[in-house]
Amino acid sequence: MMRISQLFILSSKGDHLIYKDYRGEAGSDVVNVFYEKVTALTGDQPPVVMSHRDLHFVHVRQGGLYWVATTTEDSSPFAIIEFLNRLSALVRDYCGSLSEKAVQMNFALIYELLDEVLDYGYIQTTSSDVLKNFIQTEAVSSRPFSLFDLSNVGLFGAETQQSKVAPSSAATRPIQSSRDQGGKSEIFVDVIERMSVVIGSNGVLLKADVEGEIRVKCYMPSCSEVRMGLNEELSVGRSQLRGYGAAVRLHECSFHQAVQLDDFHSHRILRLCPSQGEQTVMQYQLSDDLPSAPPFRLFPTIERDSAGRLLMYMKLRCDLPPKSAAVSVSASIPVPRGSVSLSQELSSPDQNAELILQNRAVVWRIPRFSGGTQLSALFKVEVPGLSSASLLEVGPVGLSFELPKLTATGLQVRFLRLSPVQPGPAQRWVRYVTHSDSYIIRV
Amino acid sequence: MTDSKYFTTTKKGEIFELKAELNSDKKEKKKEAVKKVIASMTVGKDVSALFPDVVNCMQTDNLELKKLVYLYLMNYAKSQPDMAIMAVNTFVKDCEDPNPLIRALAVRTMGCIRVDKITEYLCEPLRKCLKDEDPYVRKTAAVCVAKLHDINAQLVEDQGFLDTLKDLISDSNPMVVANAVAALSEIAESHPNSNLLDLNPQTINKLLTALNECTEWGQIFILDCLANYTPRDDRESQSICERVTPRLSHANSAVVLSAVKVLMKFMEMLPKDLDYYGTLLKKLAPPLVTLLSAEPELQYVALRNINLIVQRRPEILKHEMKVFFVKYNDPIYVKLEKLDIMIRLASQANIAQVLAELKEYATEVDVDFVRKAVRAIGRCAIKVEQSAERCVSTLLDLIQTKVNYVVQEAIVVIKDIFRKYPNKYESVIATLCENLDSLDEPEARAAMIWIVGEYAERIDNADELLESFLEGFHDESTQVQLQLLTAIVKLFLKKPTETQELVQQVLSLATQDSDNPDLRDRGYIYWRLLSTDPVAAKEVVLAEKPLISEETDLIEPTLLEELICHIGTLASVYHKPPSAFVEGSRGVQHKRLPGSAGSGESVESPDTGSAAGASDAPPAVIPSQGDLLGDLLNLDLTPPATTGPPPPATSGLQLGAMDLLGGGLDSLMGDESEPPPIPLRTDTPQSPQVLHQSPSPPDYSPTELGGDLGGSSAMGAGFGAPPPAAAAAPFSAPVSGGLDDLFDLGGGVGMPMGAYSPPKTVWLPAMKGKGLEISGTFARRAGVIQMEMTLTNKAMSVMTDFAIQFNRNSFGLAPAGPLQVLTPLSPNQSIEVALPLSTVGPVMKMDPLNNLQVAVKNNIDVFYFSCQYPISMLFVEDGKMERQVFLATWKDIPNDSEAQFQIADCRLSSDAASNKLQGSNIFTIAKRTVDGQDMLYQSTKLSNGIWVLAELRVQTGNPNFTVCLKCRAPEVAQCVFQSYEAVLKN
Repeated sequence: MMRISQLFILSSKGDHLIYKDYRGEAGSDVVNVFYEKVTALTGDQPPVVMSHRDLHFVHVRQGGLYWVATTTEDSSPFAIIEFLNRLSALVRDYCGSLSEKAVQMNFALIYELLDEVLDYGYIQTTSSDVLKNFIQTEAVSSRPFSLFDLSNVGLFGAETQQSKVAPSSAATRPIQSSRDQGGKSEIFVDVIERMSVVIGSNGVLLKADVEGEIRVKCYMPSCSEVRMGLNEELSVGRSQLRGYGAAVRLHECSFHQAVQLDDFHSHRILRLCPSQGEQTVMQYQLSDDLPSAPPFRLFPTIERDSAGRLLMYMKLRCDLPPKSAAVSVSASIPVPRGSVSLSQELSSPDQNAELILQNRAVVWRIPRFSGGTQLSALFKVEVPGLSSASLLEVGPVGLSFELPKLTATGLQVRFLRLSPVQPGPAQRWVRYVTHSDSYIIRV
Repeated sequence: MTDSKYFTTTKKGEIFELKAELNSDKKEKKKEAVKKVIASMTVGKDVSALFPDVVNCMQTDNLELKKLVYLYLMNYAKSQPDMAIMAVNTFVKDCEDPNPLIRALAVRTMGCIRVDKITEYLCEPLRKCLKDEDPYVRKTAAVCVAKLHDINAQLVEDQGFLDTLKDLISDSNPMVVANAVAALSEIAESHPNSNLLDLNPQTINKLLTALNECTEWGQIFILDCLANYTPRDDRESQSICERVTPRLSHANSAVVLSAVKVLMKFMEMLPKDLDYYGTLLKKLAPPLVTLLSAEPELQYVALRNINLIVQRRPEILKHEMKVFFVKYNDPIYVKLEKLDIMIRLASQANIAQVLAELKEYATEVDVDFVRKAVRAIGRCAIKVEQSAERCVSTLLDLIQTKVNYVVQEAIVVIKDIFRKYPNKYESVIATLCENLDSLDEPEARAAMIWIVGEYAERIDNADELLESFLEGFHDESTQVQLQLLTAIVKLFLKKPTETQELVQQVLSLATQDSDNPDLRDRGYIYWRLLSTDPVAAKEVVLAEKPLISEETDLIEPTLLEELICHIGTLASVYHKPPSAFVEGSRGVQHKRLPGSAGSGESVESPDTGSAAGASDAPPAVIPSQGDLLGDLLNLDLTPPATTGPPPPATSGLQLGAMDLLGGGLDSLMGDESEPPPIPLRTDTPQSPQVLHQSPSPPDYSPTELGGDLGGSSAMGAGFGAPPPAAAAAPFSAPVSGGLDDLFDLGGGVGMPMGAYSPPKTVWLPAMKGKGLEISGTFARRAGVIQMEMTLTNKAMSVMTDFAIQFNRNSFGLAPAGPLQVLTPLSPNQSIEVALPLSTVGPVMKMDPLNNLQVAVKNNIDVFYFSCQYPISMLFVEDGKMERQVFLATWKDIPNDSEAQFQIADCRLSSDAASNKLQGSNIFTIAKRTVDGQDMLYQSTKLSNGIWVLAELRVQTGNPNFTVCLKCRAPEVAQCVFQSYEAVLKN
């Protein structure tokens, strides 16, 4: 059965911010035990579950804080991790942002939340709509908008170019404030995709998966329904039928509980009653298939020059549509053991490259890479005692990048209708972004 | 002004200040003060001295303040029970408040005040709240019952709260239902037999309805509860599955996994040929794949679960190999799990792809991962024979990189490949020898030495190579020393002329200069063998070794079944049963999968006495990586956990075996001048094979004596400190060897002699036989199958000229001679005939399998009838399988071919049952006891050479036995089961 014994929130330095015992099964001294354990973890140990005598710790890190639940039962770690993530999202929604300071300032509110979301360790609800009936304490907002906060608004917690151009401070305000202060009505829709690609050394696409999700962040107390139209030619499932090429295909998708799918099958319209705050409306994936060519191709030449140095000539082509561009592109090229130094020739001054000995890799960074163009670079690596076998150690090349205003699947939001019609100006924001989850080119 | 200021008060006298503030008249000030108190509480300061002052603030209309005060109360009531009583009045009053929020708050908080004195005041308000009009209050009250039960279980029962709670399962509000289910489940755990959660089709239906309406968290409670239900038949099972499948597309992965658990469990009951079964298999794959798109932490949890699912039902994910390919940026713990699953899914269809991946992984940066990838290549070679050649060449490529740890790992796995495919790839030995100098890890050195010793006759300079190792003999690890000793002895036996000096050197190093008893003893054994009888030595040391088996580190089947019942929980992450890590007081019930289709009856027998026994017993010691071999044997050595005195037959038997062996060893150790006990070897010619057959993993460590010491290992294992697997030896040797007699003798004590034979039944009634009535039965007597018949003449005339013929039948039964009715049969006369049968007649599959169509002729007419023979008469006397063969076969037979049956109402102890079955040639190979449940592992061989493996589970005090049968010809299972039932019940 699923029972949480204690719940606590720690700062990254191990300060106790919140501590709540639901079942009286263990003392508060375990908080320190947890902190010792978690800081002693090495990189290759799975951090998911740690145990101490009869107590099991499950934790997540959100907003630079440890969110920890303990249990003495054979509980589900999935449920606990999901729950902790929801809880942190709730706290973010209620307090406006997630930080040590925000938690400290709103501890009374958080205790109130904790009382409602869990009872005797049984999870009750994590829906902000239900909770708003019970919560009395008003949130205290840390400070008005600052650039620092924006880094916390990241998509998936990642710091991205996109999040830095978030349209207003609205995204970091507590949901309650809109209730009475009559703040701006705004709704943010993020379509976020992550791409995993493996390209073989012969240039064949070995694997291409896309995972995506649609997130809605809503600050519209009076809005009872949002209708979101997706591409009309959207096919879901693995059927082999492929009508005309324009259709957007997804293999799997799952939806938030609050989404009504009545019009989805006929018109690809999602109807939802948005809770205040943030929620993931739809998750989807596409496996082993990409509607267009993979965004990057690499043409490497690797050889040993007469002086015994390793020569790597890399041609990297970006196959995006010409109007699009990738940003923050970084290619990591593993080099043989014993590599000492690097000299390079790059095609433009804004690029740079360095040899990171710790990772045994050359990292080539390209801040912006337009579609339909090609860049090349020559790396000379000094490797004492380079043998032909060590050439095998070069590669595979891993790329990381971000594709703003682009989805790999082609999924788009056609329209976003709010009802009842909002009084005053209602801002609607839709953003698209694709990240590289793992983009590997073998050499 | 923000709340953070509350954390800044650290001055002395702060308690005093707070006190004053708490007693202030101003509400705002009071609230601020209580907040400060709570802030201090959070950071661990003791503010219990303020108890009376805070309680004074309790009577307020301000909900926010009230909540804060309650928060404080929950924390300190326990340390101040007398003061807590002060608060009771307010609680009781609040439970009547018109505001449902306050009513719920009061009942929730009261339950959290874990003070015994308060509980009696709690009952009345709780009773009212359980029937409150507001669902929010009811759902809170439902949880409160569980809280109260934890403090004072008797009170809850006396007050009838459990019945009220059961009623709430039918509540109109799904949230109330979910909490009632959660509370009942928890209470039920501490009363395993109470049948509190009375799961019947009606309640299940209610739960399934609530499932569609309640929150995601409520769904988890309900699904977990459903998983404990055992459907009556496959149709009910299917209908529940149909209603649970929509949960698979839920966004919350915990809901998905709970649904997977229910489906995996109920699937066991669906017939495999059902269309729906196939549909369900297909539906399970996508949600599992989706779980892998989560954060690495969740991915890891998902992979641990998938690892279990793949072992139980590989067909679900067999087309999804690609999703387990490792991503470059996966954390190492995710990579290692994925690698493990890749090997489990590897098959001839996808092996090329898998190998290409593994080769890439072997050049990555992370050392642990690279090692495991190299090992995985070896496992592929062993698992998929067609790929072996490609794997070997891949490994050779990797050796060329000269990366030290890659080379060493590759050599270790190549050794395993040699053990699986002997004499096939020796061409690579030259390449291996080139790398001799770079090996610095004991395991790799030992592997290399093994290879040199094994193929000494094909390596020209084998003596030089081994000699070079000998120089630093004393600096080597034990593993390498043992291996070196064996390798040199092998070399000597193969090339005696030029290596005499070398072998003397190593024997003297091992026996005279070493303090290690393992090494010394092995040295002495070789020494004596060589000096006494070099021919015998050759037979022993160079005996042909059996091949290693492919699937290794599989989880032991019983544990796997239990873990499948715990999918999604901590148990599935640790791969340990919950009893191993949950405090013993509750929740230590072993779960089992329900039986397969056709068994009809309820399978998880609500055993009355035994379950209590199980939860009292200490948690089972089950090794995490269930090596069944180790399990069986270790547990055999400990006295069974049953309470009664162990049956004398078995214990005497075990002790006898131990004694005899022990005595032999003593004499060996005691007087070194005596000739070594060669008779033990000569009496047990098969024993080396037995030992080799251990399904040791490819990363099999050569220290385990079995490897090459050959026949001596039975003795070796008794010496010094044996490694766990070697502990097997004293038992496995007697099983097949000279001690066999002893075993059988012991087994024979107090056992009914001869096979079971059913009573005679009428096969041909006189009505149909024109006056001839035939009744008969079948029996196996002294290894001969007999058809025993009584022929009665009920006609008016004399009958003569009897003859008999059989139609073709499933096992080729045929009369071995003519029907011996020598004298004519007069009216009203009966005659007993025994017809010996052979099993070499023509074969045709019958339905049912054991059907026999017989034609009997006499002077009047030819009569036909059919009869069914008990399949047990086909069980041959040499049906006792070797332990290791049994284990390997058990693992090798896919789970699909497993059938499970119940034998109800059989009041035998496991030993009595074992004896009875042995009488009918069903042999018990091993027995282990887990939590009062005896598991007998048994084998049977049919006259046509089909082996049937069985696991018989007997729980003390429970008259229902469970039999799991595994056989490569699954169709015989039903018949074999019938024989079990017949034998045990007669």
